[in-house]
Amino acid sequence: MAIDTRDTRDTGTAPRRFVTTTVEVEGREETKVVELPEHEPVPWGEDAELAIVGQRATRVDAPEKVRGRARYTADLTRPGLLHAAILRSTIARGKVTLDLAPARAVDGVVDVIGAAELERRIRLAGGALFDTTIAYAGQPLAAVCAETADAAWRGIHAIVARYEAEPHVGTFDAAVAEGAPTVKRSSKKPASGNTAPNLVPGSPDVIERGNVTRGLAEAEVIVRREYRTPVQIHTALEPHGAVAEWDGDRLTIWESTQAVFRVREQVALGLGMSQSSVRVIKEHMGGGFGAKTSAGAHTFAAALLARRTGRPVRCVNDREAEQTDTGNRPCTTQRVTLGARRDGRLTAIVCEADVPLGIGGWEGGPAGLFQEMYSCPNVRTVESFAWVNTPAMTAFRAPGHVEGAFALESAMDALARELDLDPLELRRINFAERDEKKNRPFSSNRLRECYDRGAARFDWDAPRTSSGRWRRGKGMAAQVWGAGGGPPAYAIVKINGDGSADVLTGTQDLGTGSRTILAQIAAESLGARLGDVRIVLGDTERTPYTGPSWGSMTTASVGPAVRVAAEDALRQLIEAASEILGVPVTHLRANDSVISSEDGAQSISFRSLCDQLGDVMIIGRGARGPNPTGVALGSFGAQFAEVEVDTDTGVIRVVRIVAVHDAGRIINPTLAESQVEGGIIQGLGYGLFEERVLDPATGRMLNANLHDYKIPTIGDAPRIEVELLDVADATANHTGARGLAEPPIIPTAPAIANAVANAIGVEVLELPLTPWRVLGALNGHPERSEGSQGSR
Amino acid sequence: MRLTVNGRTCQLDVAPDATLLSVLRDELHLTGAKPACERGECGACTVLVADTGGTPEPVYACLALARAHEDDSITTIEGLSSPTGSHPVQAAFIEHDAVQCGFCTPGQVLAAVALLARDPNPSDEAIVQAMSGNLCRCGTYPKIMRAIQSAASAMRGTHGD
Repeated sequence: MAIDTRDTRDTGTAPRRFVTTTVEVEGREETKVVELPEHEPVPWGEDAELAIVGQRATRVDAPEKVRGRARYTADLTRPGLLHAAILRSTIARGKVTLDLAPARAVDGVVDVIGAAELERRIRLAGGALFDTTIAYAGQPLAAVCAETADAAWRGIHAIVARYEAEPHVGTFDAAVAEGAPTVKRSSKKPASGNTAPNLVPGSPDVIERGNVTRGLAEAEVIVRREYRTPVQIHTALEPHGAVAEWDGDRLTIWESTQAVFRVREQVALGLGMSQSSVRVIKEHMGGGFGAKTSAGAHTFAAALLARRTGRPVRCVNDREAEQTDTGNRPCTTQRVTLGARRDGRLTAIVCEADVPLGIGGWEGGPAGLFQEMYSCPNVRTVESFAWVNTPAMTAFRAPGHVEGAFALESAMDALARELDLDPLELRRINFAERDEKKNRPFSSNRLRECYDRGAARFDWDAPRTSSGRWRRGKGMAAQVWGAGGGPPAYAIVKINGDGSADVLTGTQDLGTGSRTILAQIAAESLGARLGDVRIVLGDTERTPYTGPSWGSMTTASVGPAVRVAAEDALRQLIEAASEILGVPVTHLRANDSVISSEDGAQSISFRSLCDQLGDVMIIGRGARGPNPTGVALGSFGAQFAEVEVDTDTGVIRVVRIVAVHDAGRIINPTLAESQVEGGIIQGLGYGLFEERVLDPATGRMLNANLHDYKIPTIGDAPRIEVELLDVADATANHTGARGLAEPPIIPTAPAIANAVANAIGVEVLELPLTPWRVLGALNGHPERSEGSQGSR
Repeated sequence: MRLTVNGRTCQLDVAPDATLLSVLRDELHLTGAKPACERGECGACTVLVADTGGTPEPVYACLALARAHEDDSITTIEGLSSPTGSHPVQAAFIEHDAVQCGFCTPGQVLAAVALLARDPNPSDEAIVQAMSGNLCRCGTYPKIMRAIQSAASAMRGTHGD
């Protein structure tokens, strides 16, 4: 690797060190003032010759994972460790009075805390920690720590809780009905004109471009549908957990989290400490999918009990708490209207969505996809969010777009049938050249190539209809997702005395493979062997800041920072080698951890160079620069599904899925394929099985376990064929890579639903496509059966 | 009680209701078997218990009482590989990227080892049957399928048939 940089400073005026840029996070654009790196590398364009980036390197942490040596939060033990458990509310709304004394008397119990033991109010996503005013079933009320986990649970069971239940609301319709009980007090009032109770401030959120009334008047064909999607639970196999240990006034927390710096900030705020007194560490984690981005009751329980007892405390959710109260993808009702000309051109898109968020969370709705996916002059989205007495939602892999894609892409197929057009052709006709929501061109959008390659691979035009009991069908769906990443993200590369490199960056590897792809980028940029690079992540004390691992941001945010840091270190190595070898820096190159002159006459390995430098340390520093202006950054894809439907039982068998995705340059094709396969399998679960069931009477979750909440098994995985376009997007950032973590889950369920409709000739308007819903549709009763409404 | 794990027999003071999982993790500090549902629904705690003929059977350690396995030979993920090398199933999981977050991986690997001990040349259907008790939320299933096929082939090669 040679150093070839361009100076990004405006040489005509004083250098600007900080600039304003926009970053899209989970579908929302944020403005940030960020550092402008002194030197931005020349982008790795389409014809960049790269040796390590783009290779199918094996996952760097796979050996320790297959040998059971990778340590997760629950595996960590500390001298004198205590085990904590949390008491949770069994009612959905009302008041509770706790008698903690019986718990203190339980053998092995060391300490018990409830609201009375808190010195200050600690805010969580679902309200204040240990609040005695109850707003949802599963709300944390108290915590016990004991010498063993069993003793802690015996302590929990010994607590006497006296509940005064009050009426609760568990659904959107119940929450906004006149006279509904107040779920959450809010100082702000909803948008003007809507006085319904429990609407989230700002609801309804109306975004309109053009004029849909005119667009519908111009339409020659109109389809209207109402779609429903379920509450999906993240269901990471590793539950949320924390180990907390105090050393004087300093607190260390080992947490299973996607966001070490965010947890540190929240813990410092919650406990009234400075951020420098709190250290949060995450080494390995057993999945997150969006649920592990905040400090939770388990974090504060561990920290508070550890402070009170003077001993380290571990608090890990049991499965019931994990399924109940760690966030979820909220359910939606979406009323969709599409208008089009006879030739297929869309004239109007309308989506009115009702989304109950639970007791907290943020307004993550489906509007973005309706605004961005297709080219249409008249688009109107109306999102109404309500507070209800259920646990708070949180981001779940492509929040909003997954829900929206089922509705929009199903409606597109309905429109194609009305127009007697091929569904793929309809999508080609309405291809969005630019991001019409942001009114900017995409930096790069190869969705049409995804359509072409997917259709060819799938053999889209081959007939798949059948008669008899098992019916076969085909369907497809597409996706767009703002996956450009952005600043801030920082990295430090330290060259050790033996020439090996430590890359320090405060991001997290959820299992996505961040460690591996960052090692590839670092080795490529440093001119080092991959094995000479070690990635150190997720430690607020040792690694520089990067943001949470969410929004498909890590590769495109942290990758460039690592590249800059590694090239900064290489520049210094080359300067040192120049001094030692007597060769000008411009004539030196690094490859395989060796620096050589261009003519090959002289060379020195990193190891010998560092040996000669003695205790002089080379430290490279890198920051993610601002995003490009005037463009929108997105990742795109299309998926094609083939299904068989048993018309006697309503059972759906997904036979095959072909997925073609465009995420710019692919750093590691094997790991990228794994990501896509994983997204598809989660999307298949969303499409076919996954659904939180609440008891309407009590507001409690009825399927808070892995038996009754169905996630896909190996037997449910269809044949999956993945193609990645792998074309560098040098406009997006100088690595040419965009995000790929969330995009693949977006089109799977609608592709399957469209294939089912194609197979049986009837649309099923509600997910998941359970056998009884399919049978209901076949028997001419597409409406929801009882329980469906109440359970949401 | 006596417990034989990974070829080593140890004496332990174990409560009658202690699960094998809690003894392995808390007493022996073998944390490769994971607590994820603690009611036999996910397979993350899978360990191997040799049957009378010495063939390893997968057991959910979260549902097994430690005392019920006093005379058994137990293998955990830590006992599968030697210091010098990986078991062929582990090598295949690495090679085929049948690992994402890694939390379910020890259980997946051991379930696959048990399958291949019973059936050295399993069909896809047999792999699905044997592995359907081990959940993976990251969705590594296609890669697990490929890794097991590859390991089976490698192990048959090693044994000369």
